[in-house]
Amino acid sequence: MVSRIFSSNSGVRRWIAGSAALLVGVALLSGCSGQSGGSATLDKKAKVSLTVWTGQEEGAEKLLEKLAAKFEKLHPNVSLNLSPGASSTEDLLQKLSASFAGGNYPDMSYSFGSWTSQLESSDRTLDITKQVADPSVKWSEFSKAAQETARPTGKKTIGFPAIVDNLALLYNKTVFDNAGVAYPTNDWTWDDFRAAAKKLTDKSKHIYGYAYSVSGSEETTWQLWPHLWQNGGAILSKDGTKSAFNSEAGVKSVNFLRDMAITDKSVYLDQTDTKFGQLFASDDIGMITSGPWQLYDLGVAKTRYGVTYLPGTNGNHATVSGPDVWALFDHKDANRAYWTYEWAKYLTDPAQDLQWNVAIGNLPLRSSEADSPEFAAQVKANPGLDVMAANSANATTARPTVAGYVGLSAAIGDAVSQVLQGQGTADAALTTAAAKADKALKAK
Amino acid sequence: MTAVVDRVSTGPGPTVPRPEARDSKKRRRLLESLEGWGFVAPALVIVLGLSIFPAIWAFFLSLEKWNGFSEPVNVGFANYQQMVGDTELQDALGHTILYVVLFVPTSVGLGLFLAVALNRNIRFIGIYRTAIFIPFVASAAVTGILTTYLFNPQFGLFNNILRVLGLPQQGWLEDPAQAMVVITIMSLWGQAAFTTVIYLAALQDMPGELMEAARIDGANKWQVFWQVVWPQLTPVTVFATIWQVIGAIQLFDLVYTTTRGGPLNATQTIVYYLWQTAFQKLDFGFGSAIAYGLFALTLLITIGVVIYSRRTKIEAF
Repeated sequence: MVSRIFSSNSGVRRWIAGSAALLVGVALLSGCSGQSGGSATLDKKAKVSLTVWTGQEEGAEKLLEKLAAKFEKLHPNVSLNLSPGASSTEDLLQKLSASFAGGNYPDMSYSFGSWTSQLESSDRTLDITKQVADPSVKWSEFSKAAQETARPTGKKTIGFPAIVDNLALLYNKTVFDNAGVAYPTNDWTWDDFRAAAKKLTDKSKHIYGYAYSVSGSEETTWQLWPHLWQNGGAILSKDGTKSAFNSEAGVKSVNFLRDMAITDKSVYLDQTDTKFGQLFASDDIGMITSGPWQLYDLGVAKTRYGVTYLPGTNGNHATVSGPDVWALFDHKDANRAYWTYEWAKYLTDPAQDLQWNVAIGNLPLRSSEADSPEFAAQVKANPGLDVMAANSANATTARPTVAGYVGLSAAIGDAVSQVLQGQGTADAALTTAAAKADKALKAK
Repeated sequence: MTAVVDRVSTGPGPTVPRPEARDSKKRRRLLESLEGWGFVAPALVIVLGLSIFPAIWAFFLSLEKWNGFSEPVNVGFANYQQMVGDTELQDALGHTILYVVLFVPTSVGLGLFLAVALNRNIRFIGIYRTAIFIPFVASAAVTGILTTYLFNPQFGLFNNILRVLGLPQQGWLEDPAQAMVVITIMSLWGQAAFTTVIYLAALQDMPGELMEAARIDGANKWQVFWQVVWPQLTPVTVFATIWQVIGAIQLFDLVYTTTRGGPLNATQTIVYYLWQTAFQKLDFGFGSAIAYGLFALTLLITIGVVIYSRRTKIEAF
C-alpha cells in the first residue's frame, strides 16, 4: 500500500494536500495556547480574573473557596477561580511545567518547598520582596525556615508561606505502659531514646520501639537531617554548590540509626512511607518521629499517645521543617500582579489562616496565632498540637531549596535505606551518595 | 482504488488524450485525493500530534539539559554519553533483563499449557475460556493494587496461608530478592491470558486430518503433540515471544502501583527509571535520551527477529 502511494503520479500533490491538512491540525492545536499582554499601569478598579491552584483535597479546598468568596465580596471587581489544579499535590509540579510550556499558567499555585528554586528559575514568578518589607505584613511572624523557603535563592521573594510543619517525637502510651517504660520528655537525649526503643521491642509480639522509612524517598532523607544538624553537620557547603553531609557528623548520624536497626533490631523498617503510621496507631510501634498530619488519624483510631520535642544532642533539639509556599506568578499585568499579591496576603493573614490552616488541623502559619481560642480548640481535639507549634522554634535550619536538592535527596535516601537494611557501611554509602548528590547539584 | 485509476489513465492506448480531457482528469484526481485526505485528516492529526510529534520533540529534548522551567541549554550528545557511565541505569537494565527472563518463557509456556487444556470439547468450556481471559482486560493498575493486598507481609492472604501451614513468613514485595518474582507472578496473571488466546486460535486453525493421520500411523498423544502440533505452532511462538519481550522491556505500570522501584531499587526497570529521571528529578533531557536508547534496543531486537524468521522461513511476521 505504501509503495503504491509513492509510485502513483499524484504522489506529490497528495503530499501537498496532506501538509495542508497537517497545517490545519497544527493551527488547531496551537489555538489552545497563547495569551494577550496585560495592562502596564495599575488600575485597582479594573475587572480582574485570577486562577489559583490549591493542591488541596476536598475539605481544605472547600475552606479556601469560602475565603475566596469573602475576598470577592470585599473586592467585587476581582474574581477568583480556585481549583486543586492536579489530582494530587505532587502532580502540581508536572502540571505547572506543562502550563509554562503552553503559556497558560495560573496566577498563584501551591508549591512544595523543594520546588521553589525551579519555579524561580522559570522567570515567571513575581518578586514581592519590597511589598512584604512593609511592617503591616508582619513577615517576621513566619518561622525562619518558612521565610527562607519563600526566598529560595535569597534574591527574590516568590510568594507567601502556605503550610508549616516539623518533626516531633510521638509516643504510644499503651506500648510504653505495657513494657513498663517511663514516657519521653522534652529533655531526652538520643541515648535515652535508643535505650527505650530497645526495651519496648518485643519480637514475639511483633512490637517495635521505633520505625524508619527505608523507601529511599524524601521521607527517608528528611528524618536524617535533625541527626545531622544536632551532630554539627550540614547538608550543603556554605556556597550551596556541593554536598557536605559526607562528614564525621553524617557518618555518626547514619551509624546511630544503623545500630538501632541492626544491632538492637528495635526499628521497624518501612518500605512504604505510610505503614508505620498505621502500625503506631494500632499499638504495634512505640515511637515515631512525625508531624501534625499524623494526629488526625490517631484521633480516629483512638490511640493513646503523647508528643514531645525530638531527642537532643547536648541540649540541641534541632528539628526539620518542611514549609510549603503559595507561589505567585507574573503575567506582565499590573492589575493581576496587584490583586494576586493582595489575595495571598489576605489568605495568610492571621484572621484568615485560623479559618483554614488551623481549622483543618495544621500548625498555625504565624507565631501570633498560637494564643488564639481557635488554636486552643484544635489542641483540645488533637492533643500535642501545641507541643508541635512550640517545636517550630527548634526548626532553626531550613531544608535546602536549591534545584539539585531532589537529586541529593534521592541519593542520600538510597544510602540510608541500604545501610539500615544491612548493605554496606555508613562511610561507603555516604561517599557514593555524595558523589551522586554533587552531580545533581552541578547539573542544575 | 486510485492505483486502478492510474493504470487506466496511463495504460497503453492508440490515442493521446486531448489537453482539456487531461485537465479534467487531473482535477478529478486532485479532488479524489483531497477527499481521501479529508477522511484521514482527523485521525492523522491525532496520530501526528499525540505520537509522532512528541517522539520528534523528545529527540530534540534529548540533546538539551532542561528542568521544565528554566531555559533549556543545548548540550549536544552529552546526555547519551551520560548513559554510558550511569550505574543506576545499568542496574535498571539488569532488573529489566531479569524480568524478561522470568516473564517471557513462563508467559509463553503457561499460555501454551492453558490453550491446550482449553482446546477440547468439555462442558462449560466457554465459561473457562472467559474466566482465563478476564484478567487480561483488567488494567495493570487494578491488578497491581489488588495483588499488593494478597502479598502484604503483615496481613496478606499468602502469608496467612503460610502461617496456617506453619511455614516461615515471606517479605514478598518488601524483600529485594523476592520483589521481582512477585511482580512477574502479578503480570503473568493478566498476560498469560493473551498468549493463551493466541495459541488457542492457532490450535483451532489446525487441520484435524494431520493429527488423525499421525494417530493412525501409531503415534501416541505425546508424540502427536511434539511431532505434529508443536512444529505447526512455531510462527505463533515466535510472534508471542517477540510481543511479550517488547511488552516486558516496557514494564512500568505494575512497578508504579506496587513497589515504586523499591525495595532498595530492586524493581527499578528502565522505563520506571526513565519516568523518575524525567518527571521526579526533572531532568527531561536525560530522560528523553534514555527513551531513545530504549527505542533503539527494541528496534534492534525486532529487526533481528524479523531477519531470523525470514531466513528460517518461519512466517511469524
